[in-house]
Amino acid sequence: MSTQYSILFKQEHAHDDAIWTAAWGKSEADGSETIVTGSLDDMVKVWKWSDEKLELQWTLEGHQLGVVSVDISHNGAIAASSSLDAHIRLWDLESGKQIKSMDAGPVDAWTVAFSPDSKYIATGSHLGKVNIFGVESGKKEYSLDTRGKFILSIAYSPDGKYLASGAIDGIINIFDIATGKLLHTLEGHAMPIRSLTFSPDSQLLVTASDDGYIKIYDVQHANLAGTLSGHGSWVLNVAFSPDDTHFVSSSSDKSVKVWDASSRACINTFFDHQDQVWSVKYNSTGSKIISAGDDRAIHIYDCPM
Amino acid sequence: MASFGWKRKAGEKVSKTVVRQFEAEAEKAENDGPGQDEEEVDWLHAIKRRREILLEDCAAKSRRLKDEGALLAEEGRHWEAIKKWDEAIHLTPDNPILYEMKSQVLTILQEVFPAVKAAEMAVKFRPLWWEGWQTLGRAQLNLGEVDLAVRSFQVAIHLCPSERTLWQEDLAWASRLQKQNLATKEKIREEEETKNQILNAPELEQDYDFESDEVLAACVAVAERQTRYEELKRTTVVIDSEGNIKNVVTGEGGSEDTATPSKEQFVKARGL
Repeated sequence: MSTQYSILFKQEHAHDDAIWTAAWGKSEADGSETIVTGSLDDMVKVWKWSDEKLELQWTLEGHQLGVVSVDISHNGAIAASSSLDAHIRLWDLESGKQIKSMDAGPVDAWTVAFSPDSKYIATGSHLGKVNIFGVESGKKEYSLDTRGKFILSIAYSPDGKYLASGAIDGIINIFDIATGKLLHTLEGHAMPIRSLTFSPDSQLLVTASDDGYIKIYDVQHANLAGTLSGHGSWVLNVAFSPDDTHFVSSSSDKSVKVWDASSRACINTFFDHQDQVWSVKYNSTGSKIISAGDDRAIHIYDCPM
Repeated sequence: MASFGWKRKAGEKVSKTVVRQFEAEAEKAENDGPGQDEEEVDWLHAIKRRREILLEDCAAKSRRLKDEGALLAEEGRHWEAIKKWDEAIHLTPDNPILYEMKSQVLTILQEVFPAVKAAEMAVKFRPLWWEGWQTLGRAQLNLGEVDLAVRSFQVAIHLCPSERTLWQEDLAWASRLQKQNLATKEKIREEEETKNQILNAPELEQDYDFESDEVLAACVAVAERQTRYEELKRTTVVIDSEGNIKNVVTGEGGSEDTATPSKEQFVKARGL
C-alpha cells in the first residue's frame, strides 16, 4: 500500500498497433486479477496481474477488424469484445476459448458494457438505439431508443436501476431499466461523448467529451453538479474508483488525471504515455489504475488508499 | 586588419517567396522607420518586432494562397493549385489542411506516392482529424497499399464513427480488396507448393520393387498431382458483389479439359 501516486509497471509493445480499450476484472472463483485489452491489430489479449507484473495469458483471435471496446463480467469469468467488423464476441477467460459470436449488424456495435447481474450486454448503435443482448441466448433481447444520434458510450449504474448513453452530438440519455423509459435527456456537451461512468453509489454520473471538459451530474435530479477542465485536448475515457471518492480520466493530450470527487480538483497527473491515452480503468479495490493507448503500452499505477 | 562580418548563407532551404516577403518587409520598415524612431532607436527590439510582423504576415499570405489554390483546383487547374499550396506550405509548414488538399489533388493527378507523403504530413500535424486519415487511406489504396489503407480507414472511423461514407465506401471497398489479395496470395502459395511436389515428389524418395503395384500407385499419385497443378493454373480468384470469394476455372472447356493431359504434362511424366 502506497502513500502517493506513482507508476508501478509498464508493458511496452503490448500489441502490434494502437490499444483502444482495456478492462480490469477480478475472478470470483480464485480471486485472481485479469486485464483484457483490445487493439487496432484485431487482437484481444488477456493478461494476469500477479506479483506486481503482467503476464500474457491468452491472445484471442477472431475479430476481422480493430477491437473498439472490451468489458469483463462482474464474476470475472467472461469477457465481451466489440469490433469494427460489427461482431460482439464472448470469451471464456479461464480457457481462452470463444463462447459466442454475435453479429450486431453493420455499424451497430460500439461500446460494450455488462449489466450489473452480467446477464446482458448493452451496446450503442448508429441510429441512437441501445441494443441489449442476452449473454446466455447470444441474441438481441430488446432495445432502448434515444431517438438521437450515434451512441459512443454506455454505462450501467451499479445498483442496476439506470443505463446512461452518450451520443456523438454530446447528448446524454438516462433510462430507467425496469420500465425501459427514457428518464432524462441532457444537453451535456456540444461535442462527442466518448465515455461516461456512474459512481459506485449510483448517485453521480461523470461524462468525458471531445470538448476537453469532464462534467458531473446528479443522477436523480439530472442536475449539472460540476464542470472540470484541465485536459488540453479530447477527454477519451473516465472511470470511477470503487472507493467512491476519486475518478480518473485519460486524454489525447497524452495524460492521465486523477480527480477528487468531492472537491472536484485534479490531485495527480501522469504524463507517462507517448501518445493518446484511449482507455483508463481502476482495479476492484481502487488501489491501482491501468491505462493504455496509441503508444501500444499498458501502464499500471499505484494509488494511495 | 581585415574587417569582420557574419557569413550570410543564402541557403537553398529558404524559399524565394519568404525571402521576397522578408525583403518587402525590410523595405517597408526602412521607409516608415526613420520617421518615428529617429530620436531613440531601439534596434534590438525593432528587429524582434519585425520578425513578429513577418510571422503574422506569413499566416495571412498562406491563407490567401490556400484559397487561390482551392479555386484553381475547382477549375481543374491542378498543377497550378499545387504550386500555390507549395508556396503556402513554405510559409506555414505545419498547416495540415494544406497537405490534405494537396494530397487530394495529387491523387487526381495519379501522383500516387507524393499523395501518400502529403497525407502523411496532414495526419502527423493533426492526428485527431478523421478527414486527414480518410485522405491518407484513399492515397494508400491508390498506391496499392491495401493493408495500410484498411488501417487508416479504421483510425478515421474510430475518430468519427457516425461518418457513413467511411464505413460503406472506404472501409468496405478496402476490406474487399484485402480479402481478394489474401485469396490470391493463398492460391499462389498453393500453386507453388503443388509445383514443388511435382519436382520433388515424395513417392520418388523411396526405392521400389519395379515388379510391384507400388510403382503403379506412385505413378498415379504423381500424375494426379500434375493434373491438380494444371487445374490450379487455370483458375482465377473472383469476388462477387457480396464479397464472397470463388475460384473460377477460366479458359475453354473447363472440367472436360482436366481429364485429357496436356503435352507438357506428358513430357514431364516421361521424364520421371
